[in-house]
Amino acid sequence: MPTEHTAHEEGPSALHRTAAATVEFVHVAKQYPGQDEPAIRDLSFTVPAGEVCVLVGPSGCGKTTAMRLVNRMIELTSGDILLDGSSIKGRDTAQLRREIGYAIQQVGLFPHVNVGDNIATVPRLLGWDKGRIRSRVDELLELVGLEPEMRRRYPAQLSGGQRQRVGVARALAADPPLMLMDEPFGAIDPITRARLQDEFLRLQNEIRKTVLFVTHDIDEAIKMGDRIAVLRHGGELAQFATPADLLMRPADEFVEQFVGADRALKRLALTRVRDVDLRVLMPEHERDGHPRIDEGVPLRDALAELLQAGRQEGIVVDAAGKERGVISIDLISRSLEPPA
Amino acid sequence: MIAQTVIPDFGGGEGSCVRENKGFCWNWVKDNWGDTLWPAVRQHVELTAIAVVIGFAIAFGLALLAHRRRRLEAPITVTTGVLYTIPSLALFQILVGFSFLGLNRLTVEIALVSYTLLILFRNTLEGLRGVPAEVREAAEGMGLTRRQVLAKVELPLALPAIVAGLRIATVTVISLATVAAFIDDEGLGSPIFRAIQSNVFKTELLAAGGLAVALALLADAVLVIAQRLVTPWARRQRA
Repeated sequence: MPTEHTAHEEGPSALHRTAAATVEFVHVAKQYPGQDEPAIRDLSFTVPAGEVCVLVGPSGCGKTTAMRLVNRMIELTSGDILLDGSSIKGRDTAQLRREIGYAIQQVGLFPHVNVGDNIATVPRLLGWDKGRIRSRVDELLELVGLEPEMRRRYPAQLSGGQRQRVGVARALAADPPLMLMDEPFGAIDPITRARLQDEFLRLQNEIRKTVLFVTHDIDEAIKMGDRIAVLRHGGELAQFATPADLLMRPADEFVEQFVGADRALKRLALTRVRDVDLRVLMPEHERDGHPRIDEGVPLRDALAELLQAGRQEGIVVDAAGKERGVISIDLISRSLEPPA
Repeated sequence: MIAQTVIPDFGGGEGSCVRENKGFCWNWVKDNWGDTLWPAVRQHVELTAIAVVIGFAIAFGLALLAHRRRRLEAPITVTTGVLYTIPSLALFQILVGFSFLGLNRLTVEIALVSYTLLILFRNTLEGLRGVPAEVREAAEGMGLTRRQVLAKVELPLALPAIVAGLRIATVTVISLATVAAFIDDEGLGSPIFRAIQSNVFKTELLAAGGLAVALALLADAVLVIAQRLVTPWARRQRA
């Protein structure tokens, strides 16, 4: 999650080159003892390496259970989970977990050690030498947009957002090919949350880990996921699709309802103005009075600006302020039509 | 009890303060510091230190057991609780009744140790249990083994509770150890008993009693400082 001033500009580091793992759920079932219904009945899907797969669904649908089965915080009842083709069964649990990044909503930073030592947890378990750990901590602090001096702070001295960043840095510390994230931005105010989401997407763009991301928030799922697994009660897979697909073609009434009545608007949030075939600019003397819209904003924001200005058309400008073309309410509306 | 000290009535050249048992006689304290009071303080520290160290070793082991196996908690709590509630004079008397024990330090230490167990056990266990669930979950999720979770996370976080227990136990033992002179003539209880038996010699009573109080306060302060040193993270507040 680099901020502007700390953005990664030097050449590819170890981070960029590490492999990501493919995750396969194969007829996974989980039955808790003493409960009538299984938490997960029969769940199968595959997450390709390097993708963010969001598990989303109402509470009690088994999404967190599904995620915790992967690093064996919960043990499978039947079925199997394969990481790059090999089963997690029979693996030493501590060893397995050290190879999988783990970030949770409450973060769970160790209050008695400072930020640097928190981040160094897994590298120490793996027996890295001191110099390597030190430089890795520096690298990670920069990666998540924290000042190097923060390494000596204790968790109690951090803001909620800073704690989440340290949590993500700690999960990434040993460069795991797979990250499990359980509502990692759930307990944060909406503004900081949106910023952390954006930063994580930028970070993910750089490191390309396989990520299993659990949330109950469909908007977060649509924003964060390359793929979304919508679960319903009993861990049943209601739909497994890309965000655009999910919004355009909900598999059934449950998914449609879960996705929400505003799914057209959500789809508009997925596309940026620059990705639309813009109309050519009108003659210069007609351009006055039209709102000027940044080409980087989603269509939803563009629509809002047009409605706000009470105009049918707006001038699209790039970051440098150069006029690129014209966007219209009509164009935005047509972008929702299914491709021919 | 053999009186090494001159009792008021026999007070030779010590002046009217001691002879008349008026109040607090500094001269008497000065004259008897090296022979009576200071050795009693050192014995008292020894009695206390031995009891707290052994008591902590036992209670700590029990707390680790109960932390791992929850069903052991109730029986351990009941047993240590019963020991804790027996009146100290009665317990000393009961212990002396055992033929293999006698009027000696071993008997005293058994009693003192038994009074520390409940406090130290409960505090250690509460400290271990007080570790936030998400901290434990994160530790396990990152691949710390159970033993590593205990050593690197749970015990350090339980330290404030453990030290709190040590403070109560230490102060309790310092106070109880004065009663122990009833069995074994050493420690600050020794001059206190002697003073009581000598027509309540006020100076000796106040001096020895005051030293016991001072010792308790000092021990408490030392433990507080020790805790601050080993838990620097507990003091840091949000920046």
